[in-house]
Amino acid sequence: STLPAVAEELLREIKKAFQETSQVPDDLLLGLKFIFGPSAVPALDLVDQRSVTRVRSPSGMTLYQVLGSSGKLYTCYSSCHFCTCPAFGFSVLQKSESLLCKHILAVYLSQAMGACQELAVSEEQLTNILLAEEEDEG
Amino acid sequence: LCRGGLAERLCRLQNRERSAISFWRHQCVSDNTILSDKSGVLIVKILEIFEECTIQVAICQQLEQSPVALSPEDAVINAEEPILKVLFTRETAAHLKSRPQDVIHIYPPWQKLLLQNADVPVIMNTYFSQKVLLSEHSEAREKTYGLTKMLIRKNIISLAQTFRLDDLDDNLHQESTDNQVPCAPQTNNNGDSKRHPLAQSAVNDSLLEMVESQGAVGWREVQVRVIIQRVYCLPAKEGYRSHTQGNKPLCATAVANSDPPNVRLCLLVQDAYGMFSEVQLQSLSSTDDIEQYCRRWEGKSCCLAGMKILQRTTRGRALGLFSLIDSLWPPVVPVKVPGQSQDSEMMTTNLPPPSFCYILTVQSGEIHVEVDEEEQISNLYQPPAVHGLKEILQIGGCNKRCSFWAQVFYRRLQTKPSVPTDQREMLLFVTDSSLQNVVHGIPKVVAVSITASCVLSVEIIEALSAGSRFVFFKDALWGNGRIICVERTVLLLQKPLLCSAAGADLSELTGPVRLDELDSTTQANSVCALRGTVVGVNESTAFSWPTCNRCGNGKLELCPQDRELLYCNQCSEVVTTPVLKMQLEVFLSCPSRSQSTVKVKVWHEMTLFVLLTMLLFLQTYEVQSVLGREVGLLNCYVHSITSHPNCVVLEEIVLL
Repeated sequence: STLPAVAEELLREIKKAFQETSQVPDDLLLGLKFIFGPSAVPALDLVDQRSVTRVRSPSGMTLYQVLGSSGKLYTCYSSCHFCTCPAFGFSVLQKSESLLCKHILAVYLSQAMGACQELAVSEEQLTNILLAEEEDEG
Repeated sequence: LCRGGLAERLCRLQNRERSAISFWRHQCVSDNTILSDKSGVLIVKILEIFEECTIQVAICQQLEQSPVALSPEDAVINAEEPILKVLFTRETAAHLKSRPQDVIHIYPPWQKLLLQNADVPVIMNTYFSQKVLLSEHSEAREKTYGLTKMLIRKNIISLAQTFRLDDLDDNLHQESTDNQVPCAPQTNNNGDSKRHPLAQSAVNDSLLEMVESQGAVGWREVQVRVIIQRVYCLPAKEGYRSHTQGNKPLCATAVANSDPPNVRLCLLVQDAYGMFSEVQLQSLSSTDDIEQYCRRWEGKSCCLAGMKILQRTTRGRALGLFSLIDSLWPPVVPVKVPGQSQDSEMMTTNLPPPSFCYILTVQSGEIHVEVDEEEQISNLYQPPAVHGLKEILQIGGCNKRCSFWAQVFYRRLQTKPSVPTDQREMLLFVTDSSLQNVVHGIPKVVAVSITASCVLSVEIIEALSAGSRFVFFKDALWGNGRIICVERTVLLLQKPLLCSAAGADLSELTGPVRLDELDSTTQANSVCALRGTVVGVNESTAFSWPTCNRCGNGKLELCPQDRELLYCNQCSEVVTTPVLKMQLEVFLSCPSRSQSTVKVKVWHEMTLFVLLTMLLFLQTYEVQSVLGREVGLLNCYVHSITSHPNCVVLEEIVLL
């Protein structure tokens, strides 16, 4: 498949440009729009608002929590593309119309630009966050 | 969107691009010949097409020049010609309707991306693409093709394929948990490497030892390691201004307002022996930071040094502080026993609750409080236990701290308007699904009183006046059937990340807020719904007055220059189109409380009473035409209830 490699390269270029110039050039922003479509602007907005938190436990397990625009907290996994938001379930899982939802894209962009907030928790607390998600869906 | 943020910039770029695209397309349509400007044009022949998500991927051969002379059947795929992967958005693809063997002209601005491990370059931003029809033969074919649908293979992308942004394989990107290297539990390694010079001295873990061994004068060398159980603001008392730093404030925003700082950031800390202390830090210039401080500091460990003892207070003298301490007792993990040696493993949980507490403050000068933000949350930390309002109303006892997440649907300010907003007392009416979804037996809503000692951030105050919303009340006080927010209560707009839900239903309300109907149990200073029949109109209290259409100021004056015009001194402008407000008191007969005289003050904006007030305005009303009208269900605030005479005075309200 082609698209993931393209998306990855684009994000790497953004990271490089940001590291070198603390800025993201216009053509890369437009590239984001081209590849990710309607998720691009909302994802950048989430980054502007510093909505992404990396939650880490001592064993190195990580997950990401993104504060959505409605005030709801969504959990994104780091080991695979997964997000608890309804758009992910619909656009990505069901219709295979998008690679990512805006929250996962915001996670990658926040990584690229060093905009992640950090939260260190214990193993138990990380598990509780994951279980809480399960309860919500169940 | 944030001003000057990336999202705003992309929006602008995208709008410009969109206009350029539609302009270009329009030009193509109106001008059927191939556009003459050839510079930068990429000419490709499609070999294969497939779809991934909504992007169409075309494997193409790049042609050196436009093969106008050749027909597509003649063109042989030359292995020397470079291969490209051209991406088209769904919209462009629908416009082009490409098929293999088609020749496409891609006009600038397009972008080329070289992938790390692949030889084939990728072409993106291909909005300005045009299919070239080489001969009349192909034009006819094009028309027939247009009628038949071509099946395009769609690749489904695996979710396991994540993106690696780093060149080094660090443990932030794990493709499967099998690859995880089991780590020993991390201790304070990270913290040590970037620790402040203060760390050179020994770190103690007993607050009591620190206090007793050094005396009340103040000292600098000894540090105590504690964990932060709660972060809150206290209204500053006069004379306790301090000029310390503490940790750097989270945002380096300049202090815009000239209000003197009257609020201090405080921490309730606990040491390894279970002893508590309240540490009063710097004055906050604006209380907006409290939510961030709570999120970043609560549960983390921190080192205190050079504290000055402000006070040693006891349970009897500081009820508010001890109600908070009681809510954190007993500790969730065993604590050390004072008097035992440090090496001993003796820990116990059967300690009685604390009876005294030291209040510390920072000395002016150096940094005294260092919070390990990167460290994990301590096991000693007790996050606020969130309960549904129904459970809270059933708690026995008095002066218990409780935390809940509820929707604020009506606000009533208590004190005079001349008192500044941040010191005003108010009554908030709140509810949640645990109260709304019950049929009967418990009230549907609860009044929460905000006293002047409860510090509200500017964010919260603005949010409460803007509209109905959910608010997290942390450590409010419950007692005598009332919930009050006092000092050390914090109102937050978001649920904290870590809080034990204890079975509370934190879901949003599914419909509008429903109030209890007026009945014999209704009390003053509450809200209720009522229905009834109009049995009388208090004509003597009916009046109308003009208000400013900009700010709602009801006290307009006559313009000094022109006595015909009205002037608003809050806006400092003439009011040319005042909004007329009318007020009327009616007497209702309510079946739910038939023994009482029910008097309701109603306003012009209330749609249910438009007819009444219209009649008033025209001054041709007749009381008879209004009597007997059915009214309901009105949301009202109960001003007073008296038994002799049996009278209920209410005012119609609008819920947020």
